[in-house]
Amino acid sequence: MTPELPSGLDLTLDQLDRDGALREAAARLPRTRFLAAAAGAAAAFGVLASPARAAVSRGDVAILNYALSLEYLQAAFYTETERVGAITGKAARATRVVGAVERAHVDAFRKLLGVQAVKQPSFDFRGTTEDQLAFLKTAVAFEDLAVAAYKGQAHLIEADAVLAAAVAIHSVEARHAAWMRHLFGIRPAAQAFDEAKPKAEILKTVRSTRFVAARTRTKGGGAPRFTG
Amino acid sequence: MRNLSLRVLDDAAAAGAVRAEPSLTRSRLLQHAFVGGGAVVAGGVLLGGLPALAPAARSKEQDVRILNLVLLLEELKAAFYAAAEAGGALRGELAEFARIVGEHERAHVAYLRKALGDQAEAKPSFDFGNTTGDRDRFAATAAMLEDTAVAGYNGQAANLTKPVLKAAATIVSVEARHAAWIRDMVGQPAAPDATDKPATDRQVQQAIARTGFVTR
Repeated sequence: MTPELPSGLDLTLDQLDRDGALREAAARLPRTRFLAAAAGAAAAFGVLASPARAAVSRGDVAILNYALSLEYLQAAFYTETERVGAITGKAARATRVVGAVERAHVDAFRKLLGVQAVKQPSFDFRGTTEDQLAFLKTAVAFEDLAVAAYKGQAHLIEADAVLAAAVAIHSVEARHAAWMRHLFGIRPAAQAFDEAKPKAEILKTVRSTRFVAARTRTKGGGAPRFTG
Repeated sequence: MRNLSLRVLDDAAAAGAVRAEPSLTRSRLLQHAFVGGGAVVAGGVLLGGLPALAPAARSKEQDVRILNLVLLLEELKAAFYAAAEAGGALRGELAEFARIVGEHERAHVAYLRKALGDQAEAKPSFDFGNTTGDRDRFAATAAMLEDTAVAGYNGQAANLTKPVLKAAATIVSVEARHAAWIRDMVGQPAAPDATDKPATDRQVQQAIARTGFVTR
């Protein structure tokens, strides 16, 4: 049932400015809602921040970084979509609301992981943030993927506080998946049981989108071959 | 500590208020039922429930108690959707929702009964009053029940043994999908918060009792 991820157009976009994105979201969302989302995420992990952080095992850190990577992807996708401004109607509202929530998830995981947090990669969404149909299709795929990903990790998490946070986010991703499916016009709950997917399969799917852009690198100090 | 999903339950008091007050208008009804969807969300409330999840030691006995609790939720919902379907008052997508979601809940009941074997508690009797005969009451009640199920499953995650947690995880997200579906269908926020607040077993039991649906 999960639609295939579109391969899309070739379009390179600037790396996201997360702080700017947050300010923008704050300006557009009802203030109470935004603050609630932000505070809520902070509070979730505030529970963990001081006493429990030391207790988070290496395995849990890996799981949290995996979750953070997926949240980076989602947050960047919705933030860029909102910025481009090509999506209209109910989907535009969903973009704002879901985007703010994904950014709150990113912030929460980063806060929890501290210096152990993986860095945000560059993304190239290949035109999917500029077209209503491609956007919805991609959003459905991402949300369904996130649900399967969290589900695949829940039983592997060691610390109860980390588990509590993960399950509280897992069901929100499922709500997003249903919401995007409804907007896309497909059944929000396709079957009685949602299957988990292992990390390797999720990462393979993410790689297949080519949304995670290779980092631009400058190597060596030699003179350029072509100077115009 | 007051938990948002329970506030929804309080206000809808699905059976109580809804049944006792037949003149309740659509907008008021939805307002009551979905009060959790908007500005009432305060930072502290949003994740206030999480620390309460400190689990009792995991055990097979505890798994059985928890699975019987979620079985009751699933029985309740399966019966609710069956009553709605039988009542024939729903049209269009709401009718489709009742049919599809009813199938899912019956599958969950069967799955949990099989897992529990002879330790499964008997199915109670239900009386849904007039909540299944009217589209607005149906929608408000369905959303409340689905939100409660999400909170109920989430609240038990840390109390389950790992194999049972793995199984429960395949169900809870489907309940969350149901909740978002019905909410979006009636123009309410499908995913109002950044995290779903958990409910303790006691809170779930109180929520069920408050509906007045279980007549036993």
